[in-house]
Amino acid sequence: MFFEAELRGIKYRINVNESPASWKVTLQAEGERPELHVISKDDFKELDGAISFLFEGDSYMVDVVGNGISYTVYTRGSYRDIPIYNDEMLLHEQLKGSDNLSGPNQISAGMPGKIVKIMVKEGDKVTQDQPVLIMEAMKMENEIRAPRELIVDKLKVKEGDNVESGAVMVTFKH
Amino acid sequence: MFKKILIANRGEIAIRVIRACRDMGIRSVAVFSDADRNSLHVLLADEAYPIGPAPSLESYLNIDKILSVAKRCGAEAIHPGYGFLSENADFVRRVEEAGFKFIGPKAESMELMGDKISAKAQMKKSGVPTVPGSEGAIKDEEDLKETAAQVGYPLLIKASSGGGGKGMRLVNSESELVSNYHLAKSEAKKFFASDAVYIEKYVQQPKHIEIQIFGDTHGNVVHLFERECSMQRRHQKVLEECPSPVLTDDVRQGMGEVAVKAAKSINYIGAGTIEFIYDSVTKQFYFMEMNTRLQVEHPVTEMCTGIDLVQEQIRVAAGLTLSVKQEDIQLNGHAIEVRICAEDPATYSPSPGIIRRCRNPQGSFIRLDSSAFPGYEVPIYYDPMVAKLIAWGKTRDEAICRLARALEEFSLTGIKTNIVLHKSLIQEPKFLDGSYTTQFLDNDFQGTRDNLFKFVDDRVFLISLAVEAFKELKPRSTAETNIYSRWKDQAREEGLR
Repeated sequence: MFFEAELRGIKYRINVNESPASWKVTLQAEGERPELHVISKDDFKELDGAISFLFEGDSYMVDVVGNGISYTVYTRGSYRDIPIYNDEMLLHEQLKGSDNLSGPNQISAGMPGKIVKIMVKEGDKVTQDQPVLIMEAMKMENEIRAPRELIVDKLKVKEGDNVESGAVMVTFKH
Repeated sequence: MFKKILIANRGEIAIRVIRACRDMGIRSVAVFSDADRNSLHVLLADEAYPIGPAPSLESYLNIDKILSVAKRCGAEAIHPGYGFLSENADFVRRVEEAGFKFIGPKAESMELMGDKISAKAQMKKSGVPTVPGSEGAIKDEEDLKETAAQVGYPLLIKASSGGGGKGMRLVNSESELVSNYHLAKSEAKKFFASDAVYIEKYVQQPKHIEIQIFGDTHGNVVHLFERECSMQRRHQKVLEECPSPVLTDDVRQGMGEVAVKAAKSINYIGAGTIEFIYDSVTKQFYFMEMNTRLQVEHPVTEMCTGIDLVQEQIRVAAGLTLSVKQEDIQLNGHAIEVRICAEDPATYSPSPGIIRRCRNPQGSFIRLDSSAFPGYEVPIYYDPMVAKLIAWGKTRDEAICRLARALEEFSLTGIKTNIVLHKSLIQEPKFLDGSYTTQFLDNDFQGTRDNLFKFVDDRVFLISLAVEAFKELKPRSTAETNIYSRWKDQAREEGLR
């Protein structure tokens, strides 16, 4: 099965094949040569509510959470949010004509909160990670940043507004 | 001694108090909001009662409701934990009027020390060093200019009833003075409903060092040495240690004596903390504020002194004398605490959600005060801290190594946590040599996502993900290799029997 994934700004092509005793995983970072990893099923097994993964001599307890195209992978107190697409999804995305691997063109509230400050205006050009607004939730002020270089299209909230989880706060255009 | 105590709090601190009660053979009563029915303090207490909807104002801050539960269940005393009602003088009075003992200081002490201007004035009177600054609130622009000239630059303008860095402005020279004064006033008005501000000297390379003190109703006051809490982000403590790596014995002794003097001057009863700002250059320390409650970071003091602070609080509230005298209190070894929060370690934004896997660190000289368990949903309504991890060692180096080990063992998934942040922090040269200041995390630390995530080979993430996504997507006919599907099938079969 073929996948495309993105991690730390690098796109990977990944191919997975299952045999009775092992997983054959080919990893190819953009512009690099493919690497084949043959992982014995005994080195990648479900244990203690997670996956025990023995990789190149290192022992990891890995937990993979998510479904569809958005996963979070946890291990050793660390984690990665990784978008992943297989053939079918890639085709679907191409038909829709959007460049979804680089994320949505809007910012929505991840949880209920209050808008404390807005640092941009409609029509502003923002760079990746530029603070867009400050939202107060769980007793903390959180800076919400631009996902990448974009132009602010519409501000759907104003300072002092209370927002519900999932509410779209800012939309962008290219 | 009390037979039953109600704990007007939630999360790890409620559990901490439940444990002390149980250690002393006292029944514990938990209260919970609608969002906390499944929380660990409810599961661990002897009794548990609902007190209303999820928002704190309607539950954990609802004095009427808490008192009615206390009456109904026959509790004799109420422990407020930290946060919520713990420093609310009205609550103390209401508790006492209703015939219960409040486990904490008197209402008057809270009022006196809760207001920064009255607290500072009182401390000055008691001979405690304070940062040079204005006597009370600044009256007008003239008073401002005169006082600023006496104090010298750089200086800070602060809100009288402020906290958490709001309404605070740094002024480097006279030309910036007046404009910053007006900005500070309007911020203070907005956040604290009072535009009173004061000014004080800006301390260079500041460290946050606090002294734990304890008073009983028989006039005894002791100190339990210091905690250093300079590792802060936007005035929120992140890591604390005992003892401070920089204090000399002379300064430590001096600080302790001053803190005892301060507590005695206000007839303080119960656990309290006197916070000092320490100038690393001049080695001078100045009174900052007093916290009239148990602190989040109290475990590091417990680990190094062997004294259970919560049990001591309960003893004092019951009218007993302190179980220790000053000369019996010794510092033994070194302890470090890190606060484990449900938050993104790079952006610090909260990450509430359902905990999937929770494998706690174990082993020698590790303490974990946690409210997390698999399947528990961290609610969005309250503080994101889910656990405190404390490591003890004979020396500071040993404590750091042990903490690193325990962080490595700690597995908490389903929510994002700052475990990797702590792993990175305790490798920083300025932490290792103890020279870090309160500015370290905000200014010096390069906690970018890539830096924080350096601990694991990217390929581990990618391969694990690809294999799991494969399992998810492959046709159902081959599902027999998937352990979860097998469980599902078995459950279905059992359902048919």
